[in-house]
Amino acid sequence: MAQIELEHIDRIFKLGDSEVHALRDITLRIEPGEYVAVMGPSGSGKSTLLNLLGLLDRPDAGHYRLEGRDVTTLSADEQAAVRSARIGFVFQSFHLVPRLSAAENIGLPLVLAGIPVAERAARIAQALQDFGLEGRARHRPDELSGGQRQRVAIARATIMRPAMLLADEPTGNLDRATGHEVTALLEALNAAGTTLIVVTHDPSMGERAHRRILMEDGAIRQDLRTAAPPP
Amino acid sequence: MRWRDALHLALRAITAHRLRSLLTLLGIGVGIAAVILLTSIGEGLHRFVLAEFGQFGTNVINLHPGRQGARGGPPGLPSTARDLTLDDADALARLPHVRHVTGSVSGNAEVRAQGRVRRSTVLGVGPQMQEVYSMRVRVGQFLPPDEAASARAFVVLGPKLARELFGSTIALGEHVEIGAERFRVVGVMEEKGQFLGIDLDDAAYIPVVRGMALYQRDGLMEIALTYDPEAPAARVAEAVKKRMIARHGREDFTVLTQEDMLATLSNILDLLTAAVGALGAISLLVGGVGIVTIMSIAVTERTGEIGLLVALGARRRTILALFLGEAVVLAGIGGLLGLLVGAGLAQLVGLLVPAMPVATPWRYALAAEGVAIVVGLAAGVLPARRAARLDAVEALRAE
Amino acid sequence: MSPADTLRFATRAATAWPLRTALMMLAMSIGVAAVVVLTALGDGARRYVVNEFSALGASLLIVLPGRTETGGVNAGSFVSSTPRELTNADAAALLRLPLVQRVAPLAVGNSEIAVGGRLREVTVVGTSADFLELRGLKIGHGGFLPREDFNRASAVAVIGDALRSELFPGQSAVGRMIRVGDTRLRVIGVLTPSGRGLGMTTDELVLVPVATAQAMFDTSGLFRIFVEARGREALPATQRQIEERLRARRDDELDFTVITQDAVLGTFDRILGALTLGVAGIAAISLAVAGILVMNVMLVAVTQRTAEIGLLKALGARAGTIRAAFLAEAALLSVAGALAGFALGHAGAWGVRLAFPQLPAWPPDWAVIAALATALGTGVLFGVLPARRAARLDPVQALSKR
Repeated sequence: MAQIELEHIDRIFKLGDSEVHALRDITLRIEPGEYVAVMGPSGSGKSTLLNLLGLLDRPDAGHYRLEGRDVTTLSADEQAAVRSARIGFVFQSFHLVPRLSAAENIGLPLVLAGIPVAERAARIAQALQDFGLEGRARHRPDELSGGQRQRVAIARATIMRPAMLLADEPTGNLDRATGHEVTALLEALNAAGTTLIVVTHDPSMGERAHRRILMEDGAIRQDLRTAAPPP
Repeated sequence: MRWRDALHLALRAITAHRLRSLLTLLGIGVGIAAVILLTSIGEGLHRFVLAEFGQFGTNVINLHPGRQGARGGPPGLPSTARDLTLDDADALARLPHVRHVTGSVSGNAEVRAQGRVRRSTVLGVGPQMQEVYSMRVRVGQFLPPDEAASARAFVVLGPKLARELFGSTIALGEHVEIGAERFRVVGVMEEKGQFLGIDLDDAAYIPVVRGMALYQRDGLMEIALTYDPEAPAARVAEAVKKRMIARHGREDFTVLTQEDMLATLSNILDLLTAAVGALGAISLLVGGVGIVTIMSIAVTERTGEIGLLVALGARRRTILALFLGEAVVLAGIGGLLGLLVGAGLAQLVGLLVPAMPVATPWRYALAAEGVAIVVGLAAGVLPARRAARLDAVEALRAE
Repeated sequence: MSPADTLRFATRAATAWPLRTALMMLAMSIGVAAVVVLTALGDGARRYVVNEFSALGASLLIVLPGRTETGGVNAGSFVSSTPRELTNADAAALLRLPLVQRVAPLAVGNSEIAVGGRLREVTVVGTSADFLELRGLKIGHGGFLPREDFNRASAVAVIGDALRSELFPGQSAVGRMIRVGDTRLRVIGVLTPSGRGLGMTTDELVLVPVATAQAMFDTSGLFRIFVEARGREALPATQRQIEERLRARRDDELDFTVITQDAVLGTFDRILGALTLGVAGIAAISLAVAGILVMNVMLVAVTQRTAEIGLLKALGARAGTIRAAFLAEAALLSVAGALAGFALGHAGAWGVRLAFPQLPAWPPDWAVIAALATALGTGVLFGVLPARRAARLDPVQALSKR
């Protein structure tokens, strides 16, 4: 059974007088553990697709089944619950809360889920260690380098052990060397079994994925597999 | 920068965040509305009291025996001073400028008629009482100008007393018993209503000498007189004093002009109105804090804009004026709104509660708006100074 | 989010912008402080008046001449003549009633006393020996009026302390002669100073036997009769007895009024209480203004923290969680401001007590609770709109804002 199943998804935005078809009749299947890159020129709908996959947005037509469950018509609260438990986001501009420390930022999903303090502390400590951030636990985002910030963001995205990671231009604000580090991190997580869907316009980033989905004008132009899909 | 442009810019800045600006000026508005409403009620009360006194005519001077009580004894206490007598009243009547005089005694007595009994205020007065107190008979006539010593046993009833005793039958010509004497009803007074809680309509008026006999007094409780309107009150009062001192040997009486009575009362009422206005001003103070808060946030938000203005050549003074202007405009509009709401509410109160008089004089409205603008100025100063002192380079970099 | 975490989140958010938080707290605290100080003043005045008038009068009844159809106390009953006055004999008759402990007839008037060649106004109170105990006065020098028949016009007087220092500075007044109006009297006692009271003071009175005063003012009637009952519980019964006895003496006419000190006090108490409430209510309007400020600033905060809100939603926060977080912030600010105002207000009340020691200016409990509750209530009420706005933000748009 596919982890993600999109069927005839349409998403239409109204801009002033005109209508924009951000997504046209998208049908897509993604298995658990896949490493997918979604690419295309600006306005192709790749970010919209990602938002939809992450249940941040609703389609105007079609169905979205996540892990066998039709999540298209879930209420806002139910969608939030799914996001909390099954989905992790990594953003281009990190979106760390400026007044919270690195440790507190990482722990945000746990706080939202109501996990008790003691368990939180343990899991955050583990995450800090896993991502090499022990020395930076008390620092605020404005005291961290770009690479460190993104590592905090990834730690935050994975602390609830989600089924999939959705990354929107994760290396867009980083220099090349740091970008490579972050990419390696994400791929290691994928190797450990988390589905990784990356939106990128960087061809070299896209090359590394096992599957490339090219979008144009809201539709999937190409769906290339360069490595054998996992069993 | 021309001040018209500055105003224009200020208005654009304000309308850019409509809800925020609305809420900010609402703070001032509520404060001003409270102050206006409260002072309107106070002013209304003031005018009401003046009118109540005024209904007795304005050129009235009252005389009481004895000097003002030592520190707040109730008025009307007996005194070891010489009584005021009818002869005193006659002497005063002969003074220049004095028009009408009436000596009076008053108290509480039973009035019996038609088998009914009612305890009312019974006043012994002179025949000129109507002119002195501006109270007229509605039916019949008042006490005739008999010689005081031989005044006939006539009585004039207040309308309420007449109704209570005689119901719907005509009281004229009937007899009533007051004390141990019989009196004939020759008139019924017009409705006058209440005066400071005392029912003027529940009274009976008999000749003063008979009143003195009723209450077993040798002297009058009060002499009231009216004088020519053109004559200054102070001069007439002086003349009265001199004549009375000549007759009594010393000043063992009190002369009160209408102004005296009103002055004290006016002062108290003004004080009350001011105090009540000050209470409303607490809200105004909080509204001012609101302006400080929002302007501070605005300065922080528009750091880049300020840096840009400086880079374009704006002087510090201009930036100061811009932000100060915003604060003043906000407060000014809020003040206007508050004025309208406050005055409107005051009118509503006046309609719903007829007993409660309200008045919103122009000077209050102008003063309120002035206060609002001052609050805006005071509140805007600190944030505006911060804006004017921003370092342009830092400001532009932060964008 | 657990409540503790919600609170923690709200606190961190509030302290991240110290200036605006401080200003919002200031606004709230002004309102609460105003209510606290004003109610302290009002309640202090109320308790002062009630204490001053009631400390001695719990079992006190007052008989007045005359009666209005509506009965009770009105402006006119302060001074009233009637064809038939209250007499000394009436007062003496009341003394014989079983439930009556003390009786003091009262004949009051104004006169003058010669001081150093000048005439000075004084109020003369003609009364009896019981007046001292009945009104809780104390003798400083000499003794009080003798216990004698009410109709005996002895030529003696007891004067207040201020009069003594005016008439006989530095000397003993007892035994000296004074001239009040045309009457010569021998001073037999001086009252203790009555202290700096806001109300009536006895320091400038001349107290004489009631018949002496009546002779002075050429009247045979009484201004009032004060009666002390045997204890507070006996008041209603005593009132009935007095009315019966006096009616019997006056051909069954009810041409007098009996009121209890309690009733008068009750009126005062109610009036001052209502006044305090009104004043506090007006001051509380400022709390509404403070609430508007909270709403305004919280709305700004929502705008400024849009990206943060989008992030929280992306992380799986429910709409209710976000609403709760912002509401908690508004509530926290209001409570903190209210507590600060409470402390400020208490300091203000303490200042009032320093300036006016006789005024028991303590803010009453009901006012404090009401002020705190109103502050919290307005804060929460005005926090609702921003909280709902925050919860309703579209996460996609919110995240793209950065």
